[in-house]
Amino acid sequence: MAQLTHDVEKHTALYVEAFNAGDVDAVNAMYTQDAVAVWEPGVPLAGQARIDSVRDFLSRGPRMTAVPRQSFVTDDTALLVVDWTIDTTDEEGNPEHLEGVGLDVLCRGADGNWRYAIDDPYGEK
Amino acid sequence: MSFTVDIDFDKPDLTADTDTQNEIFLQVFNSGDGELFDKLYRADSISNFSGQPLTGAARLAFFKEFLATKPKLQAEVTHAWVAGDAALIGVRFTIDGTDQDGKPMHLEGTCTDVLRRGADGRWLMAVDRPVAGSLLPE
Repeated sequence: MAQLTHDVEKHTALYVEAFNAGDVDAVNAMYTQDAVAVWEPGVPLAGQARIDSVRDFLSRGPRMTAVPRQSFVTDDTALLVVDWTIDTTDEEGNPEHLEGVGLDVLCRGADGNWRYAIDDPYGEK
Repeated sequence: MSFTVDIDFDKPDLTADTDTQNEIFLQVFNSGDGELFDKLYRADSISNFSGQPLTGAARLAFFKEFLATKPKLQAEVTHAWVAGDAALIGVRFTIDGTDQDGKPMHLEGTCTDVLRRGADGRWLMAVDRPVAGSLLPE
């Protein structure tokens, strides 16, 4: 069940909830059709590759925390600077801790809901 | 002021091309004309150049005051992610100018820019966010 919001301040928390529930469809529904995700630095994913990557990543049962440290919100566009951590398992099944400061660009659609257009989790270097 | 880039300030467009965006941004900034520079932003766009998030009339007033001192901006694009009608651009920049006491001022850092394409197809600045120092002289 996708949970979208008209309140951009709530978007990050809803995303964490869907992510930690392992809900692939809900996570993917929080992106625009054209969204670009840069989960591996320097490697932008879009379209089906991005959608498939969410399925693969969530299959390992990762746990995320994410808190926006800055937000800049215009009528239909937002830039969030987000402190995040993910605890997951690597391909050998060993625990893996990931963290970073992400740059998220969100766009408000015609339906009033905010969605990620660009998800760059290592954007702030 | 003459520009080598093609820009119509009645219908400003940073274009879909990242290098052209950067070149227009540089040339208009370096023209020293804050009123023209402000036209590269949408009415509700947020600029953090002053160290504070400014929009509307406050943003225009800052650009006019700051650019009147003719700071020289250089910038190169480090990465660009384009998602339909939204783009996130990373640039590395330096600014050389003079502070309020007439002393040389040098600033450098990185900047994140968010651009949007409007319904009429024109690309404009939505958010700029320089880090590693504000651009205001101390």
